[in-house]
Amino acid sequence: MINRLTSLPTLKIDTAQKLAFMYKGKKYYGVKGDTIVSALFANGVRIFGRSLKYHRPRGLYSLDGECSNTCMEVDGIPNVRCENTLLKDGMVIKEQNVKGSAENDMMSFLDKMDWLMPAGFYYNVMHKPAKIWPIAMKQIRKAAGLGKISPDYKMPGKFDEIFLNTDVCVIGGGPSGMMAALSAAKKGLRVIIMESRPWLGGFYEYRSKEYKNSQTLHDRAKQLANEVTTQDNIRVFTHTSAVGTYNNNLVTGFQIGKKEDVFDERYIEIRAKSVVAAAGCIERPLIFDNNERPGVMQIGCALRMAKTYGQLPGKNAVFSIGHDLGLEAALELHDLGLTIACIVDIREDGQDPQLLEKIQAKKIPLFKGWVAKKALGAKRVKGVDLSSVDGQISKTFPCDLIVASAGMTPVTGHITVALGTLKYDTYTGFFLPDQMPDKMHAAGRILGLNDSFSIEASGTLAGLKAAFDCENGSIKEIGDAKKALENLPGPVRGTKLVTAPVKGRKSFICFDEDATIKNIKQAIEKGFDVPELIKRFTATGLGPGQGGIPGHNLPLYVAKYQALSDVSIRPTNVRPPLVPTLISTYAGVNHKMFKITPMDEMQKKDNGIFRNIGVWQRARYFSNDLLCKKEIENVRNNVGMLDGSTLGKFRIHGPDALKALQRVFVSDMSRVKEGRVKYSAMCNDDGCVIDDGVVVKQGENDYYFTTSSGRAGQTVEWIRYHTRYDGWDFALVNLTDSMGVINLSGPNARKVFEKIIDIDVSNEAFGYSEYKEFKIADTIPTRVMRLGFVGELSYELHVPSSYMKSVWLMLKEAGKEFNIQNFGVEAQNVLRMEKCHIILGQESEQRTNLLDVGLGFLWDRKKAEAKTVGAVALSQAENDQTRLKLVGFKMENNGRAPRDGALIVDEKVRGYIATARDSFSLNEAVGMALVEAPLSKIGTRLEIYEDECGDDRIYGKVVTMPFYDPEGQRMKM
Amino acid sequence: MALTITCPICGKRNGYEFRFGGEEKGPRPDEKDMTPEAWCDYVHMNKCVAGIQEEWWFHKDGCGSWFKIHRDTTTNLEKEAQEAKK
Amino acid sequence: MKDIQRISPVVFKSTPSKVEKRDNWDVVMEYSGEGDGPYLVDLSHRPRFDLQSSKLAAIKPFGLKLPEIPGNCIFKKGILANRMNGIQVSVLNLDGQKDSSMPDEAEYTDVTDSTICVALIGKNIFSICEKLTALDFMDLQKKAPFLFQGPFSHVPCQIVTLSKDSDNSGLILTCSRGYGRDMINSILHAGEEFGLRPAGESRFTNWIKA
Repeated sequence: MINRLTSLPTLKIDTAQKLAFMYKGKKYYGVKGDTIVSALFANGVRIFGRSLKYHRPRGLYSLDGECSNTCMEVDGIPNVRCENTLLKDGMVIKEQNVKGSAENDMMSFLDKMDWLMPAGFYYNVMHKPAKIWPIAMKQIRKAAGLGKISPDYKMPGKFDEIFLNTDVCVIGGGPSGMMAALSAAKKGLRVIIMESRPWLGGFYEYRSKEYKNSQTLHDRAKQLANEVTTQDNIRVFTHTSAVGTYNNNLVTGFQIGKKEDVFDERYIEIRAKSVVAAAGCIERPLIFDNNERPGVMQIGCALRMAKTYGQLPGKNAVFSIGHDLGLEAALELHDLGLTIACIVDIREDGQDPQLLEKIQAKKIPLFKGWVAKKALGAKRVKGVDLSSVDGQISKTFPCDLIVASAGMTPVTGHITVALGTLKYDTYTGFFLPDQMPDKMHAAGRILGLNDSFSIEASGTLAGLKAAFDCENGSIKEIGDAKKALENLPGPVRGTKLVTAPVKGRKSFICFDEDATIKNIKQAIEKGFDVPELIKRFTATGLGPGQGGIPGHNLPLYVAKYQALSDVSIRPTNVRPPLVPTLISTYAGVNHKMFKITPMDEMQKKDNGIFRNIGVWQRARYFSNDLLCKKEIENVRNNVGMLDGSTLGKFRIHGPDALKALQRVFVSDMSRVKEGRVKYSAMCNDDGCVIDDGVVVKQGENDYYFTTSSGRAGQTVEWIRYHTRYDGWDFALVNLTDSMGVINLSGPNARKVFEKIIDIDVSNEAFGYSEYKEFKIADTIPTRVMRLGFVGELSYELHVPSSYMKSVWLMLKEAGKEFNIQNFGVEAQNVLRMEKCHIILGQESEQRTNLLDVGLGFLWDRKKAEAKTVGAVALSQAENDQTRLKLVGFKMENNGRAPRDGALIVDEKVRGYIATARDSFSLNEAVGMALVEAPLSKIGTRLEIYEDECGDDRIYGKVVTMPFYDPEGQRMKM
Repeated sequence: MALTITCPICGKRNGYEFRFGGEEKGPRPDEKDMTPEAWCDYVHMNKCVAGIQEEWWFHKDGCGSWFKIHRDTTTNLEKEAQEAKK
Repeated sequence: MKDIQRISPVVFKSTPSKVEKRDNWDVVMEYSGEGDGPYLVDLSHRPRFDLQSSKLAAIKPFGLKLPEIPGNCIFKKGILANRMNGIQVSVLNLDGQKDSSMPDEAEYTDVTDSTICVALIGKNIFSICEKLTALDFMDLQKKAPFLFQGPFSHVPCQIVTLSKDSDNSGLILTCSRGYGRDMINSILHAGEEFGLRPAGESRFTNWIKA
């Protein structure tokens, strides 16, 4: 383990606290504050994985996850970005995509086979003959790819979510972001800062350069961070990446939890009134031969390894840079003990004279107009070929570290994802924001600024603009802030170089997908002339780094190679998530939200087997006999109890209540009489039946009605929608959850029922289709309807939910002597099917109209003034012979029932089975089907095709409905 | 959801609280002598403008009211009524 | 019949330490181990009414003048009235005062059994809320008491913020009774990190008084 630098004020590690972890089966130690990669680096690991196609060794290159070089499997989770994942005690880390090890990968010969794999080779080569493809695919999949995951993998970890509202959301916690937050917060606005690193400070945070008056940049960062965190109305989210920006200033992101947090990761969704994009810059990778060899890294990476993690990134370095930050880093690292063989700077001139002076004083050789051309060394850097930018002269230096960067490039994803546009700026060489999205403002280095004071002033300005979006502040203030910024230094000239003078066979523009400059040339030569197409053909930028490495190099190179006079070419579209995000993080906590009925507990005690049906959990069976023989027979011969609480239940009242009912129900609702139950249905404007239920009148313009369980959530919406132009005065109250419903059915129902009440329930006093309201035990207000859905004598009790348990227990007690039993939804389904009572959604689908299912008798044609929903379509459909008809059928030769949904065919599909069961009541298989009209005649033979039945068919015959108790005497007894 | 809808009762809310109720087409037409084609047009045919359209929304997770807004179908952003008239 | 009982849709796993019988409800006054807040209190036994009329201006439930603007609430003498829209008001009797019967007019509907009704009181309650809903309780424009009609843990709810006082804030939430079990689970789960515990009715009564 190497000795760490321990006295730097910028360190984020605590060397006193050791953390143990497993790597390739062996135990290693890191320290608190390490990332996985910084811990491994300290233990001498330089090769972290092998590349996707060529199995090239890959090492530490950046520290912010722009490429997959350091993706490894951590605690069973593949593709973890280890360079910015904090080390935890006990972690188990494995390499990916290697045969053997990353150090000695048996597949590394593939690097020499690149001539076999030109850009798009899999599109070109492996489809002829077609037989090759499955074999080739298998081999490719074995050799290529990154992490592996099994289909039944279960993601470990705790995931959470929060939904925030704010006035201003600042993306980026660097100097400009913090200044923006402060200027908006000082106006009393609510501000949120999202910073992807675990701490605030941005590119100030690890630099020792003077800010002013001998205050260093990292001290300035601390000062600002302190101001921000002590401001009450600023909420700071560190270790939080913003991954999406959308319309109406919706910002999404995720936060990595700390040890004390209740989550490992949490999804964050922020609705802001205004957004400040201040994500700063990343480095634009320098492209030269072997530019991803372990030992090549970016400026920020090399410097932060020392200043954040206390490790010198090498012993003997060559710098190939194009920006003053490179000179600054070289000086700092030199002072920390790194030997610097030389610095080559792409720029001929324009360097900060103070930096040049210091470099000279320290006798570090500096070559202007030079660039790294080729990294030497097979697995690790052993030296570097340098050349003048024009390629004319070259020299070689031995070294173990090449710090390479072509320059800076702004992080513009948050702007372009929200449909802002970029424009190439020839002075900075940057793609700068052009049209900003509505109520989004850019600040800091994204604007090409480089001077600290300018960066901060741009933050202040953006904060004021954002405040103005929140109707706070004045145009004058903004004008003043703008002037202040204009008086400060503007953007600096940037380098435009994309590649060193190389052919590019081993010069990688995209590490994740192993795409080289040569591949890009191949694509262009095939006619793919714009980055968006080249991206797809070569896969450049499709890897886990989300285009972080090729991002702005691809359009620049394409422009250069085609010798376009201006860079009108734009970067490829980036899309959310801008940073790889776990699906589990998006899923969040995922609370299951289902409704239960007031009888839930009691039915569970009675061994009910529950199913999720729509929004409800309902008891579907009461034994493991899924055919429900006992449940069914008990209702037919004795008495059973069904929980019908999921039925939609509504009160409608007010002066225009009847008008509203007339509009949506097909029947004439003015004929509903008090004390009677009216069954009716609702249709849509196509005449298709969408709902059915019963209506009772409780007073003048005061009705109580039921709907099917599945429609209850939409009933108010439906009625209000179809009366929205009428201005009618009526009130709807959803009582679905207010009332529990017990359906007490069977020949003994009356005997049970009369025991718990003291009114006369004889057939004469309370006949079929009648309705009564009374109190049970003088206390429980109860509404009872005599219905016959299952075809037996039955009472439907509507009881306030809180009393339901008491009534349930009374009925059970009263029914004990008759051996009363529960029956579930499936038993009810069979019972009513035997009676040919339909269930909408089962005997109907979207296109089925009221007439098709034989409910035409409900429709009252004489209320045209009501403009009944569906009436026009129904009258037009009345003589339509092309529609399906609902028929009853039984199976031939005592055959079994077909499956629900099976098709009725001859040489074509002629209909389908709605519901069919082996009926215990009838001792044969019966069912209902929707068939074409010519097949609906009694006696027609139906040919039934079931899934996967091949050439086998089963046959049924159309019979009259209903099958059970055709005279309906049992429900009226 | 990025979409927001401004409910006249509850104010600006996330789009997923609402259900879309179609384009504004005016009250139910007179049903007398309505041809099947004319009825089908009323029920199913839409203008599908690329631009600002007046449309119905229902606040299903909120106050339960139906109301109309103007929305630019090309940007999915709401527009003020006076802006829409331009 | 002596065994008639009204059952609340809200069930807590905590052990009740003090229970009071009231109008067939077993009202838990106190649970053991209530902690020191925030608290989740079941008020589902408190009477609630739906009032709908096109002439709301003329109606004064329990003598209260109703708020005119949707989203506004009035909370007086234990009666909370929330203006839901142009024609509708929800009335909650939070006081537990003796005369809790519904006014006779046809415009009223008893909806006590339609919903669960819980109070969330104490510190950090809005930190719990932001884990469950995107509704903006901390909107500076909104002065308590105010009504939200919107999703909470994906379920449509009515939520009345009674106090935004950071140490001792309070809100009342109602949602469909059927969701009771899952709503309680998700609130308690979200509140776990803040020490949220079920508490008895006394906790709420005292909070109102304070």
